[in-house]
Amino acid sequence: MNAPVKTPEERKSELQGMGDSRLRKEDARFIQGKGQYCDDIKLPGMLHMDIVRSPVAHGRIKKINKDPAMAIPGVHAVLTADDLKPLNLHWMPTLAGDVAAVLADEKVHFQMQEVAIVIADDRYIAADAVEAVEVEYEELPVVIDPYKALEPDAPVLREDLAGKTEGAHGARDHHNHIFTWEAGDKSAADDAFANAPVTVSQHMHYPRVHPCPLETCGCVASFDPVKGELTTWMTSQAPHVVRTVVSMLSGVPESKVRIISPDIGGGFGNKVGVYPGYVCAIVSSIVLGRPVKWSEDRMENISTTAFARDYHMDGHLAATEDGKILGLKVDVVADHGAFDACADPTKFPAGLFHICSGSYDIPVAHCSVKGVYTNKAPGGVAYRCSFRVTEAVYLIERMVDVLAQKLDMDKAEIRRKNFIRKEQFPYTSAFGFEYDSGDYHTALEKVLEAVDYKALRAEQEQKRSDPNCPTLMGIGLVTFTEVVGAGPSKICDILGVGMFDSCEIRIHPTGSAIARMGTITQGQGHQTTYAQIIASELGIPSEVIQVEEGDTSTAPYGLGTYGSRSTPVAGAAIAMAARKIHAKAKKIAAHLLEVAEGDLDWEIDRFKVRGNDEQFKTMADIAWAAYNQPPEGLEPGLEAVHYYDPPNFTYPFGIYLCVVDIDKGTGETSIRRFYALDDCGTRINPMIIDGQIHGGLTEGFAVAMGQQMPFDEQGNLMGNTLMDYFLPTAVETPTWETDYTVTPSPHHPIGAKGVAESPHVGSIPTFNSAVVDAFAHLGVTHMDMPHTSYRVWKKLKEEGVQL
Amino acid sequence: MEVKLDKRYELGVPAQHAWAILSDLESVASCMPGASLGEKTGDNSYKGSVKIKVGPATAQFGGEVEILSMDAANQSLVLKGKGADKGGSSASMELEATIEDTTDGSVLVGAATVIVNGKFAQFGGRMMVQVSDVILKQFVDNFILKAQALGDATGNPETKVGANESPSAESTDELNGLAIFWALLKSWIGGLFGKKSVG
Repeated sequence: MNAPVKTPEERKSELQGMGDSRLRKEDARFIQGKGQYCDDIKLPGMLHMDIVRSPVAHGRIKKINKDPAMAIPGVHAVLTADDLKPLNLHWMPTLAGDVAAVLADEKVHFQMQEVAIVIADDRYIAADAVEAVEVEYEELPVVIDPYKALEPDAPVLREDLAGKTEGAHGARDHHNHIFTWEAGDKSAADDAFANAPVTVSQHMHYPRVHPCPLETCGCVASFDPVKGELTTWMTSQAPHVVRTVVSMLSGVPESKVRIISPDIGGGFGNKVGVYPGYVCAIVSSIVLGRPVKWSEDRMENISTTAFARDYHMDGHLAATEDGKILGLKVDVVADHGAFDACADPTKFPAGLFHICSGSYDIPVAHCSVKGVYTNKAPGGVAYRCSFRVTEAVYLIERMVDVLAQKLDMDKAEIRRKNFIRKEQFPYTSAFGFEYDSGDYHTALEKVLEAVDYKALRAEQEQKRSDPNCPTLMGIGLVTFTEVVGAGPSKICDILGVGMFDSCEIRIHPTGSAIARMGTITQGQGHQTTYAQIIASELGIPSEVIQVEEGDTSTAPYGLGTYGSRSTPVAGAAIAMAARKIHAKAKKIAAHLLEVAEGDLDWEIDRFKVRGNDEQFKTMADIAWAAYNQPPEGLEPGLEAVHYYDPPNFTYPFGIYLCVVDIDKGTGETSIRRFYALDDCGTRINPMIIDGQIHGGLTEGFAVAMGQQMPFDEQGNLMGNTLMDYFLPTAVETPTWETDYTVTPSPHHPIGAKGVAESPHVGSIPTFNSAVVDAFAHLGVTHMDMPHTSYRVWKKLKEEGVQL
Repeated sequence: MEVKLDKRYELGVPAQHAWAILSDLESVASCMPGASLGEKTGDNSYKGSVKIKVGPATAQFGGEVEILSMDAANQSLVLKGKGADKGGSSASMELEATIEDTTDGSVLVGAATVIVNGKFAQFGGRMMVQVSDVILKQFVDNFILKAQALGDATGNPETKVGANESPSAESTDELNGLAIFWALLKSWIGGLFGKKSVG
């Protein structure tokens, strides 16, 4: 038994705790194709569901004839809104306080809206039967433009709301108006603008895009008529909330509803909501007493389940002549589609859009967001961002660029001048957010130095003066602040449930552990990183810590994974639960070592008697004792549960710089360089952070350079296949350079702020800033996304750029 | 997806023959590749269908055709057709067609507004103008053959062509997507070498 004594450094490295680039636990099964996704689940006697959808965007349903479909052998049921009516399930509540049709009730409100469902023996029969259902429509005038939707004589979209002058978020002043939400101080902002030496305004449209995860939405609902229990496997980012909603809708007690989120192939906000497909599969399973599977195809996914963005924004800045910002005003018209189904904390119909004062010390500000119904699919989710934060960051970063251009100031200089200074933290913004920590100046200088900003500007100057240069060169700079980790339950709830999250840790007698969380990983690597937090807190190797999520019957209640809330909220719950165990472990260690607790020091994986390195008990020793020889008066076992209600949001930030070259002849853009510095506070796994940043930047690249959901006047979505909808592969994706600073969050138990969404939020305006910058010498101040070659080429022609 | 089409086709047949074909809906339908006319549902309306085949996929638009006005004096016809396909598409068309006299025969002048919704718009929207051009070219070719046959057969412009009579060798009972694709490809390649494209 004379094993060599390991140094503290060796012991620490063996734990693979926080700061270790531990390989992802999840990848072994994913790279072998052994993940278990919803569509992999096959149950005995399982039936298949397919959906009859509307070809028109606005119409009255005159007649539905199910008979030809029912006549097909293997078809078990065809259900319409009329069949759901007796159950009162033809409409369902949305997360935003509105209602949405489960199956179209007399009217269709958007193209591909769910009209009827077919349940059949297999997927093929179901698809055939869908074509056999005959539906007659009387077409109605279609409203696509939210500004036209607000005209006095615009067609009435939501007849079910006739006469309702009060919505979930205040007064409605027009039949297509959902809400108007304001933040900040309007009169103070107006005063600042009235007296300001310089003002700038810019209109911009943040186009409607779709998160488009690789795995589309789907579920397998299985109702056991004998036990009266409902089990549903579902692609859900929030299984516990879904269980609550399903229980409320179905009347089955929450204890008899089990929602399981298996492996999920990306969510990005698309898998937060409850969709008609889920409800119909569950109802069908209850009615037929057999399991029912529903899987969306790609067109259904892009067309109907939860889009993002679609904000028409007017930004205004007031400033001094030397570029100090004096005030901000923003007016937004938000296209919410046919039903208000945004996934936001209930009290915030525009999410956390009022983070739009950004990283800048702006004394007064006001914003107003007006939600509008149109004949488009509902949604408005946070696509790889916190609630409406992408829109907010885009707005303020664009406006600062516009102001810099007006004043002929450098983009870096104007930011330096307006940053919230390090010593101002915690800083309360004009909109009332309390920023926890930040050091923007240091981060900015680090990036400018790394890319040699001066040299880039000199090169750009030289190229602009050379008429034979075949390219336009643009430099984009963005200095963003996010608000994530929703959130403090005093202000954040979803349908009345506070936005806490939870963790339960059990240490087994031999020193291994299992941890269960209320969140659910969709690619973030929770099984890897959560274990690292526990490893550092409790001195148990990550390798023997099992992390489980997504099964509502085993995991503690939590609000799920979206809005970068897993590390800020659940990560904190893990640390707090671990600390409860740590406290009990210390009592046991004191008992075993026969000293007072006060005489013990914690070191990596053990409690040792102060001043005597030979006398110690490791966490493994303590775990055994916890079960087999606990001190008198202490209950056996070593486990803890913690529900963490964060005291504040966290505020990750970053400085991004992009260099783009645009071919003057073809409009093709080439991202020469993209430098991303992120500060997410304490870093748990640098490799996973890099992966998250690469993924987020790639999705940001997709949005800025190609993704769009164009509608024609009839409400046809002209881009719902992957032939049209831009999903970049390794071929198109630029090379990313990453960097970091560390400014821990002072209120978070481990100082972590969350990172997965920063790169998406921050990169989109950076690409935009770079493309606009390429045209800036021609007087161009703004260009709407996406910057496809065709759109850029048109701009080149418009500006008379000669090859 | 809305497309407006304005077309003029030299027919090379006497105007009276051309008008005889145009004023008979069944004859017009038989010139349209893939189209067939069903039962009469009103004074001026019929059931109708158009079948289109692209590779293994077949779509059948079923619907109604209604003659909104028929002006013999001006040799002008206005009709409206609309229909839906079971796979989740719907289409409507309003067409004004006129036969103009010219020194060496006649000209068919057509103005149409076509609205397509659903999958056909989403998949085929960007090709719609080109596809319409090809279909109309086939239609006009059939139309001319039929009008010529009318002249050759009787010399009597009043005689109607029977609905069961096969109008031409080119017409088939379904509109073949691959044939359209081939025609488009030919016209595109033609365009590359500076030839004027089809239609």
